Amino acid sequence: MSHVINFSVKHLLPVTKCYLRGNFVSSFCKYSSASNSTSNSGNVLDNLTDWETLSKKKKISKAMKAYLERAQEHDEFMKKQQQEFAIGKRHLANMMGEDPETFTQKDVDRAIEYLFPSGIYDPAARPLMKPPEELFPARKAAEFDEAGRPHHLLFYTGKPNFFKLLYDAADNIKQLQNFEDRVIRKKATPDPNGALSLEGSVWLTKEQLEQVLVEKILDLEYDNFKVVMERLVSLPYSYRCKDFIEKYRNTLASQKFALEIPKPSYDDDGRAFITTYECLRKKARGDVTIRSPGSGKITINGKDITYFEDVQSREQVLFPLIFTGMQDRVDVECNIEGGGPSGQAGAIRWGIAWGLRSFVEKEMLEKMQIAGLLTRDHRRRERKKPGQPGARKKPTWKKR
Amino acid sequence: MNTLRILPKYCCKKTQRFCRLPVSQNRFYARPTSFPDFFQNPVFRKEDQAKLVETTDLSKLAAVPVKPPAVYETCSAYHDPLVNKVINHVMEMGKKQLARSLVEKAFENIKRIQIERYHLASTAEEKNKIELNPKKVLHLAIENSKPLLQLSPIKRGGITYQVPGPITEKRSLFLAIKWLLEATNEKERTIHFPEQFAWELLDAANNTGKVVKKKQDLHRQCEANRAYAHYRWQ
Repeated sequence: MSHVINFSVKHLLPVTKCYLRGNFVSSFCKYSSASNSTSNSGNVLDNLTDWETLSKKKKISKAMKAYLERAQEHDEFMKKQQQEFAIGKRHLANMMGEDPETFTQKDVDRAIEYLFPSGIYDPAARPLMKPPEELFPARKAAEFDEAGRPHHLLFYTGKPNFFKLLYDAADNIKQLQNFEDRVIRKKATPDPNGALSLEGSVWLTKEQLEQVLVEKILDLEYDNFKVVMERLVSLPYSYRCKDFIEKYRNTLASQKFALEIPKPSYDDDGRAFITTYECLRKKARGDVTIRSPGSGKITINGKDITYFEDVQSREQVLFPLIFTGMQDRVDVECNIEGGGPSGQAGAIRWGIAWGLRSFVEKEMLEKMQIAGLLTRDHRRRERKKPGQPGARKKPTWKKR
Repeated sequence: MNTLRILPKYCCKKTQRFCRLPVSQNRFYARPTSFPDFFQNPVFRKEDQAKLVETTDLSKLAAVPVKPPAVYETCSAYHDPLVNKVINHVMEMGKKQLARSLVEKAFENIKRIQIERYHLASTAEEKNKIELNPKKVLHLAIENSKPLLQLSPIKRGGITYQVPGPITEKRSLFLAIKWLLEATNEKERTIHFPEQFAWELLDAANNTGKVVKKKQDLHRQCEANRAYAHYRWQ
């Protein structure tokens, strides 16, 4: 009996719809009829209908629907971009007269630089051709199920990945402190060899962190991230969560001086000499030649060290020589132009230090690096801004 | 990086053994420099480097990028950060060469005065007491004129009280140099800066003179206002 009724209702429903639609053409009626029929049947035949499957079909949430649409749109867009990129790459290879099959991204960059030379200061503003995966930011996968219920416990913070990171860091701190307490209770001391060394790396920059998290974060939040991570690192047993810490650190490129130190050449007298070109500081430009063995003779533009009238500049020229203890073992010749005494002295200082690399031992080289003598000072005069009297100086404030 | 290292007390106590990258020179920049914050401050003086080598591995430190030393910094034996500081206080309108020459002339005057005294002294005991190194005289003078307390005005119930309190190291150094220069500038127009500055330094090094009196006055005032000290936290 029940089966029969169930059947009849299921068959009837579409029929009634059609019938009603035929009679009254308004959509309002359609909805009302549908609700009427369901409520009626709900009252009478609750236990007879297969509601689970029905409700499942109906209950894809609006958010999910919108997400699916967006995702599909994005996929299509990316597909199109990838096709265009592949075609463009082939064209470019043909233009450059190379084999399109073996044309790599490196070749693409070179070709673009050759075809569209640009003097724009910021590299990010120059023309480029990169695979679309690099150019268009990655998107998050759906963060909620079909019913609209979020997967992530921190979904309603708005930045679940970022706050999960902070949460994990805090969790780690707590665990390390517990561990430390346990060690202290056992009266043991921490292993000094196990200490975490973070010298060669830095924290991810804000942009990199955003890329990792696939979330935009504020400056303040980035600062918070750094504070929390620094606190974690400062704990004595931080090496226990080394993996977690190193996920958020960038290794720095090793120092340049270690790469190649030129071998000195020999002049007619049999003296070793080395010339450093492009010694720059502020507006000063010049070159420095160092000859060894020598007697500590310094020649600047044909004069001796009295070329500089102020003592400070003379001290700067002598700085690397005194530091390495080579002041009476080498001769220095410089040609320098542009800028003032301070800039010229700084340029010569860097040139002498750079040239001395070939004449000193490795330990002294490291000492020079720690003293900052091998770092080029790339700072320039800051430009004046319109609407104010200087680079930073503002006009005197007047009420009216 | 250094500015961001805010540690709770709890951490500081336990991590002293594990401190990374000792920074032996404290250079404070008024605004961020154009060097990224992972650049470390340079360690260029011989004695600082010797200290560094004892505690840590050189090659590890050398892997980190370092800021170049400033134009006024050298490793020479004549370089003294405190003298540099005084020169910068003496300087007006960015005329550093002039300021430096003035301070150096003052040192010369100190040397002359002290040598004269040295030769006038009759016994070896008296001779030993006379400090001939002008830089040491400067250090001593500044050390003697540094105040230990300061008065800060705090308003309570419509009345402003001068409340005594502790002073930071940096501010006390600033006040010492400022007072020395103020005392020097209260001079006759016919007397030149180097002479007067030399006298002031010698007086302060001897624990006498205007500046030391000023410091003692401040201390006395702080002592008199002891009753207000609780306004600092109430």
